[in-house]
Amino acid sequence: MAFKNVARTLAGVAAVAMLIPLAACGGSGGTSQTADIPAKGTDDGTTITLWTRSPLERQAKNAVQAYNKSHKNQVKLEIIPNDDMEGKVGGASQTDSLPDILAGDVVRIPYWASEGIFADLTEQIDGLDNKGDLQQGHIDAGTVDGKKYTLPFITDVSVMVWNKNLYKEAGLDPEKGPSTVAEFVKQAKAVANLNKDGVAGSYLAGQSGGALVFDLFPSVWADGESVMNEDGTEATLDNTSMKAVLDGYKELADTANGLGAGSKEETGATWTAPFANGKIGVMPYPNTSCTALFEAEKDGGFEVGVTPIPGTKEGKTSTFLGGDAMGISKDSKHVAQAWNFLSWLMGEDAQKEVFADNGDTASNIATLKSAYDDADARVKTINSVIIDGNGQTPKAVKFNEAFNAAGSPWQLLIQNAVWGNGDSLKTDNQAVTDVLSQ
Amino acid sequence: MTTPLWKRIVARVLQSLLALAFISPLIWVIVCSFSPQPGSAQSSGWGVANYLTLFGYQEGLPVYLLNSVIVSAISVVLSVVVCTLAGYSFSRFDYPGRNLGFMVTLSILMVPYASLLIPLMVWYKNIGLNDTLLGVGLVITLFQLPMSTFIMRNAFDAIPKDMEEAAMVDGCNSFQALLKILVPVVKPSMVTVGLLAFLEAWNNFMIPLYLSSSGKSTLPLAMVNMRQQTMGVIDYGATEAGVVVLLIPCAILFLALQKYYVKGFMAGAVKG
Amino acid sequence: MPSVSKGAVPERKSKARAAQTRRGLLYALPDWAMIVLLFFVPIALLFIMACSRWSLMGGNRGLNFPDNFIAVFENKLFGQSILFTLEYTVIVTIFLLVLGLGLALIVQESSKWNNVLRTCFLLPSATGLASASLLFYALYSPQVGPVTKILSFFGLMDQGGSVLATGQSALWATIIVIVWRFSGYYMLLMMIGLQAIPGDLYEAARMDGAGTWRIFRSVTLPLMKPTIVMCLVYCVTGSILAFDQFFILTKGGPNNSTMTVVQLIYNFAFDSKKDLGMAAALSLLVLVALVIINAIQMRGMRDNTK
Repeated sequence: MAFKNVARTLAGVAAVAMLIPLAACGGSGGTSQTADIPAKGTDDGTTITLWTRSPLERQAKNAVQAYNKSHKNQVKLEIIPNDDMEGKVGGASQTDSLPDILAGDVVRIPYWASEGIFADLTEQIDGLDNKGDLQQGHIDAGTVDGKKYTLPFITDVSVMVWNKNLYKEAGLDPEKGPSTVAEFVKQAKAVANLNKDGVAGSYLAGQSGGALVFDLFPSVWADGESVMNEDGTEATLDNTSMKAVLDGYKELADTANGLGAGSKEETGATWTAPFANGKIGVMPYPNTSCTALFEAEKDGGFEVGVTPIPGTKEGKTSTFLGGDAMGISKDSKHVAQAWNFLSWLMGEDAQKEVFADNGDTASNIATLKSAYDDADARVKTINSVIIDGNGQTPKAVKFNEAFNAAGSPWQLLIQNAVWGNGDSLKTDNQAVTDVLSQ
Repeated sequence: MTTPLWKRIVARVLQSLLALAFISPLIWVIVCSFSPQPGSAQSSGWGVANYLTLFGYQEGLPVYLLNSVIVSAISVVLSVVVCTLAGYSFSRFDYPGRNLGFMVTLSILMVPYASLLIPLMVWYKNIGLNDTLLGVGLVITLFQLPMSTFIMRNAFDAIPKDMEEAAMVDGCNSFQALLKILVPVVKPSMVTVGLLAFLEAWNNFMIPLYLSSSGKSTLPLAMVNMRQQTMGVIDYGATEAGVVVLLIPCAILFLALQKYYVKGFMAGAVKG
Repeated sequence: MPSVSKGAVPERKSKARAAQTRRGLLYALPDWAMIVLLFFVPIALLFIMACSRWSLMGGNRGLNFPDNFIAVFENKLFGQSILFTLEYTVIVTIFLLVLGLGLALIVQESSKWNNVLRTCFLLPSATGLASASLLFYALYSPQVGPVTKILSFFGLMDQGGSVLATGQSALWATIIVIVWRFSGYYMLLMMIGLQAIPGDLYEAARMDGAGTWRIFRSVTLPLMKPTIVMCLVYCVTGSILAFDQFFILTKGGPNNSTMTVVQLIYNFAFDSKKDLGMAAALSLLVLVALVIINAIQMRGMRDNTK
């Protein structure tokens, strides 16, 4: 019968079709040749592709523009929406079509590196003259079994910001931000007590694991406590510091206007907006968004104060060394040219031109110390939290699933601790460990 | 039978309210895209600043528009041709495998396209269709097949068989009979199929999300990307402007072709 | 197709049949080509992935059947997402079918006024699901949308809150988007069914002195059964596969309370697990479930059209 024939043909086509992709997928893993790259890479007019995620678009554009202006090589930048980054990278990795240079959220980098999507750059990175000046968190994140894969691309740190205008109204000293967690709660409550329409003491992105680690971990680190064990396989979120921070937020959540409306369900899409709109008293904030605040202030907006994020005891602060790290992908056919971009960006001149001159944070400590003389005092405060070396970058292969993913156990921990009855920290911490230890 | 006047008035008022409920979101978004809003390019006064934001976004609105137009054209042409031929085959010819073909076509409905996209990415790489507008258009067409083939088959079913038999007696072959006799009759259904394909191709964002790079993205994808552009602040103004840009061609085509649309469905679904 | 002529049927008849078969297949060829190349191949690949250790970044690392299926069954979101999807499907289906039929009854007769109404009801169907979701995302946003202001004016929610804040309200907010977007579409399908009912049946019923409600119950409803079942199949299938609207509006949140099954597939593949094998395994389970559900519904349809 004809149908049988058709069916047979179909089966044949399907069988052949299945073999092709399988063959293509067989050999993934670091295949790029990195052995014979000159120390500064090659600048011969090649077009290099670079992917980064949307939140850091402005900084990435500055970097690419500066490089393209001064080099024969041309970098073609592609901006990927934050939430689609992993899907896009995964898909490209499946089809061996990753860009030459891949930049990604530093907390995702350990997983990417362990899955072998970067080319081994150990020799090149170790060969950099100023390796010691570079932000170590971004290099460590991309270090697997002693092999180094990544360098810092854009640094984003968390700092405490407060609205000086609201502080004045609330009778607080507008020049003095919180120096302990307890003070933070007290000042937030004072602003809450203004009972002004739409104004709240603080704000928390309750549904955004990524913003929550960025906001809350520094207080724990400031106390010398940890959030995970060394290997990143066990959560230690039930320590007294974390408990104190969470209780502080719970107190605010239970206060009228304590936490801005929408905190509990904020998915991170608009988590910096309420403060930027002048509705929030004091909160931890990403430094990459501070530049916009300072500009708004110049245009007649409210006055902003910046201080490092404190722990429970006075005098100790810390920060989350976030942002994007970058590496050369396993699929790159222009490794030497891509390295040219990387090594150029690590230099002090480039760091100054790309970051310091635009009011952004450099990833090179020498630049942070030298290139910001004329900068706003608050920018110097931001830089100081990187220079002092108290900041950390958490590293765990399963970090994304445990913390960042929508509905992660960490997010549920916060929901229970701040908006729930607050007594399930032990079991919630175990749930995070369960994911980390997989 | 006459209904009292007050009853008719009450009915009219209620009906108007219902209709208003349906179109008010559309009116709202159009108004808002021009109105002043904090946090968008149009922060004071009325104007088109949100549209200008859109215009200058990354590769620029014209590129995305062109991509959308190309993908839509591919999907419309392919859907109409493939589904008309398939509908003709499943309706007019009696052969083994006919029902199987129809059932398999319908079964596409049952597969979540999210789960087909990853295998498709791998597969496209092998057949050289990765990152092409043609590839995107093909997948969109694939998901149009079930509904549209269904419509076309029923449209052909509704035509009495003697029509093309008479033509065949006059010496036409089956293809000529299709072109000369049947196509004019099933035209409304073909327009429906084309319109459905256009609406889908114009609006779909998941398929281009996985199959195309930013230079090849279509308008909705660029829109969704733009929504989460700057950390922390959604530019609602630009989002609204984008929704309007996406909406206008659909609404115009829809209003212009509404008669066909309804008719095509009629022919298609009578025998449902 | 050479094998066709081998049959024991008389020569001429078989020739005619062969011609029929050849032509039939020829016209269906483009359809088949697309199905094989873009549907069968990926599905086959999906099977392989479901049985393999296949991570998002790392690619294929060999067979591991049935580990992926076990991992899916053991995931705590699995049962939860099925329940939520069913809840959503039931609510959406009821709303769309009732509204679709109701609207169809209102605008059934052709008049200028009814044409205007029809257009109003149908216009949302011209928007894409993505743009409709984006539109409502703006409408629901406490910053720019009116929904929060209206609801808080009536004291139904806190000022500055969002309807997407709690699982229940997010579910209903999403249902509103879907009802808004699809009511007109189902109205159209229902209208077509209504118009197929011969007018004299109504006439006869009216002669017998039946009231409006009586006519609806004993004439309209029974005769509309095939149309209603068809709408049911579309609606149930579409709702079980719900994705875009939740992807844009809630991302499965808050706290996983609006996680549909397809959203979970996406979550396994790209968010929490980054495991294409698990995602493929869940896709296959959904596929099988849908085939069964649709088979049951189709059977219902066949019995009713007799």
